[in-house]
Amino acid sequence: MKSSLVHRLLLLPATMWLLVMLVLPLLVVIIFSFGDRGPAGGYVPGFSLDQYANLPARFTAFKNTMILAPAGTLAALLIAYPLAYYLAVKANPNIKTVLLVMIIVPFWTSILIRTYAWIYILGGQGIPKMLEFFGVEGVRLINTPYSVLIGIIYGYLPLMVFPIYVSLEKLDKRLLEASQDLGASPIRTFRNVTLPLSIPGIATGCMLVFILLMGEFLIPALLGGGKVFFIGNALVDLFLQSRNWAYGSAVATTLVIVMLLTVSIYMKLMMRGSNIREEVSLL
Amino acid sequence: MSKDNQSITKKQFMKELWRFKNGSISRRQFLGVTGLGVATSVLAGAMPALIPRKAWSASDIGDRVVLATWPNYHDPANFEKFTEVTGAHVQVNVFGSNEEMLAKLQAGGSGWDVFVPTNYTITTYVGEDLIEPLELSKIPNYAAEAFDPRFSDAGSVDGTVYAVPKNWGTTGYVVNNKHTDGRKLTSWKDFWDISMNEFTGRTMVHDYQLTTIGNALKYFGYSFNSVDPAELADAEKLLLEVKPHLFAINSDYQPPLRNGDAWMSMCWTGDGKQLNTDIPEMEYVLGVEGGEIWSDYFAVPRGAEHPDAGYALIDFMLDPAVNAKEVLAHGYPVADSRTNDLLPKELLEDPILYPAQELLDALEFGAAATLTDPNRAELLARFKAA
Amino acid sequence: MRVSSKDSVVSFQNVWKRYGEVIAASNLNLDVQSGEFLSFLGPSGCGKTTTLRMIAGFDQPSEGDVILKGKRVNGVPAFKRPVNMVFQHYALFPHLNVADNVAYGLKQRSPRPPSKEIESRVSESLELVQLAGYQNRRIWEMSGGQQQRVALARALINKPEVLLLDEPLAALDRKLRREMQIELQNLQRNVGITFILVTHDQEEALSMSDRVCIMREGEIIQVGSPRELYDNPLNRYIADFIGKSNFFDGVVQKSSANDLEIRLNNGAQIVAANSRQHNTYASAAPVTISIRPEQLMLSRRVSQLPDEKAIVINAAVRNRIFLGEHTEYLLYNEQFGEFLALSPRQNEIGEPPFEVNEDIHISWNQEATLVLNHD
Repeated sequence: MKSSLVHRLLLLPATMWLLVMLVLPLLVVIIFSFGDRGPAGGYVPGFSLDQYANLPARFTAFKNTMILAPAGTLAALLIAYPLAYYLAVKANPNIKTVLLVMIIVPFWTSILIRTYAWIYILGGQGIPKMLEFFGVEGVRLINTPYSVLIGIIYGYLPLMVFPIYVSLEKLDKRLLEASQDLGASPIRTFRNVTLPLSIPGIATGCMLVFILLMGEFLIPALLGGGKVFFIGNALVDLFLQSRNWAYGSAVATTLVIVMLLTVSIYMKLMMRGSNIREEVSLL
Repeated sequence: MSKDNQSITKKQFMKELWRFKNGSISRRQFLGVTGLGVATSVLAGAMPALIPRKAWSASDIGDRVVLATWPNYHDPANFEKFTEVTGAHVQVNVFGSNEEMLAKLQAGGSGWDVFVPTNYTITTYVGEDLIEPLELSKIPNYAAEAFDPRFSDAGSVDGTVYAVPKNWGTTGYVVNNKHTDGRKLTSWKDFWDISMNEFTGRTMVHDYQLTTIGNALKYFGYSFNSVDPAELADAEKLLLEVKPHLFAINSDYQPPLRNGDAWMSMCWTGDGKQLNTDIPEMEYVLGVEGGEIWSDYFAVPRGAEHPDAGYALIDFMLDPAVNAKEVLAHGYPVADSRTNDLLPKELLEDPILYPAQELLDALEFGAAATLTDPNRAELLARFKAA
Repeated sequence: MRVSSKDSVVSFQNVWKRYGEVIAASNLNLDVQSGEFLSFLGPSGCGKTTTLRMIAGFDQPSEGDVILKGKRVNGVPAFKRPVNMVFQHYALFPHLNVADNVAYGLKQRSPRPPSKEIESRVSESLELVQLAGYQNRRIWEMSGGQQQRVALARALINKPEVLLLDEPLAALDRKLRREMQIELQNLQRNVGITFILVTHDQEEALSMSDRVCIMREGEIIQVGSPRELYDNPLNRYIADFIGKSNFFDGVVQKSSANDLEIRLNNGAQIVAANSRQHNTYASAAPVTISIRPEQLMLSRRVSQLPDEKAIVINAAVRNRIFLGEHTEYLLYNEQFGEFLALSPRQNEIGEPPFEVNEDIHISWNQEATLVLNHD
């Protein structure tokens, strides 16, 4: 009895926090999504499904997000994994420290300024100019899905590298020797042992990156020139430009539902795909 | 001189740095979350020299004033001077559209002390109770009779003065003639047609319903301010057709025009003047079909945290000597005859600032209805999301 | 067992292993006979693990040749060698169940055996280590001893030419370790595979192995059966390492084919049998004599001790520890210092046990005196 009281008291701050910061705003958003836009913008109470009926008007934004978020996650994974593998398994301690610092240091600067730098790097005077030097003419990067993808990979790489690095770092190197001892070549050892045992890190990294990408708007806005439009951009526009809070809430609610569905399907697949006891550390 | 094939020079870099400080690099797209103040303060923190010194004779207006304004719209030296005189540091938030300003004020907690609305928005601010009537006694530099009423009328609603004029100007487009093979563009029809052909991937339009939809309406000869559903449908069709050919939808068009990524963009007077001064091939064009003429105002929002500092800033900016320096820096004309008296003759005869009368005659002031019309807002959003 | 060296399954020929300045193995020469149970014994850092890893293929010699089944295998990676290892902490794959762990090696073969065959061989292997029916268990559900058996099954299923065991019992508690020692021995006899064990535990090495190879500082010092090592250690280091002993330093005064006259540093003059006839000692060569505690005879009366070729001294009982079948005495003599003596129980039947502080006599036979080099 007493201990259950203590438990409740211990959980109180977290519960309050979740209630105030997560549940209430979500409820407000859901309620707003059934209302209407005010005459000069904002919200007028009401109950209709009109806002949801209008969702197809943002289909492209949803589509872009649902293509570029997984693509960005996958690309970040493909680049992050070898890097994390090198850091955790191959690099000598000095190089490792230098590399880890190099991955962390950019975080000390605002993502805004870093992404702005990419406008110049990917713009006509940047990489395309360098490519011209090598005889490749007419490459356009800035304001294309590719520039957005590059920005995403750049921005999210550390979020992918670290969970994978941690899972590979704690991997018992004797397991790799055991595998080789039992006749598995290094490649098969990677496939049979290293990869399955780093799945928790991969899962965590992918989840982090994917969830954050679903709501991303800064990178597409800056590197997509307003042409590569994510659902996050649609939300920013609805609240900060057309001031249609009701429709914005409907889009936001839909995004949350899509995200929950995607993530739960993904979790199921991950859990089935790996027989690992360790839970995916995010959930 | 053309900067097309040069890498960034020291001077350019410093200019970019100033743009950073002014906040003009950060655009409306990410305003809601990052906020311009963040970018400015990050930079100021990184460069101690950019933090203004506190003046010896600090007045009692406080140490800061927050200004919401437009890109490339001020002479930073004047802000420094203001800080020197009053001790208040000017924190600048930059916007790309009036809708964005309205949204920020509607959401509450903007933190602004002064903002710069455009003529057609003021009645809405009054109607939504988002703006304070001005205490003119706190703005001794404002002399109503010195201003051309065409550009000061909209500041008063039902006889109450809510806003005093800052600058006026037009919305045309700037085109880099280096790429037109000697062809002269003169109309909005030219603008949209060339965008889908020779200029594919090189044109920018504003991220702004009024001008982007308005100038698309002009393609068909409709009113710039139309809210007629059939006419808007035509405009939307054109915009969707053009979209794949655009370089970007962004109200910050100077950087890509300067580095050669973009060849043409919708453009406001002052940007046209700035670009033309630096790169003579950049020509400012007003469409023969018409387009927008506008006037911007200084106003004080409801709930300003430093109203005294706000009034002090407005008064300082309306000082004809200061105002003249502003014009020289940004290239937007003023409606204040006292200021014009201080400006060089060439500038007062500049065709970019003061277009030929027949071109001016075709222009329309923005209409209040466009700001609140849900169809125009949603049209622009659909265009961007497409 | 003495088999000609062409039957050796593993052979080291002048093998050196260097890590930069550090020499981990120096000039190893060794033949491991097919079917034998050989242990590498030594303290940590003596090079025994490096030696094992050179057989497994995880480390390659810096110099010299490692021969496996008559083939030089220098540079051949681990996964291509017909040997398997039981790792110190088993290194079982945590993401696979018991059956998949055991089947791992078979599944790497090309062509891969049919799954029916894999299945039957897995159950055979599990039966061999007394884990029949554990196929679907998860690794973390198994006790330490069971994990040990899985590791054995996983290695043995491949029918390796040599099974390498790296401190396989170190993680087990004492009782379990004892059981596993016996089991390992039985297993080795049943499967007939050559076992090479690395251990720092001399009791483990002596109790299980056919031959023990003692290493120190990267060198092989002596190889022999446990009995040879105990009875005829090459030097003081080994005598000290294998079992307990009483050591006294001295110099050779006179050496003949059968006897050595030695003057101990404590002044005593003794004669010891020269057990290594081929060993000749220069006059004044420094040596150590070793007398095993169980070789000492204790008595209250001198007359009860054998006098032929025996040395008899007085001693006081300092301490007595009852060990069941033995009693361990700590004795003290003015000249020699402390002695450790082990007295079997039956010796005490005629005489009641000696009491602490009692003055008694110690005697040992010349034949029981080992003369050793310092190292």
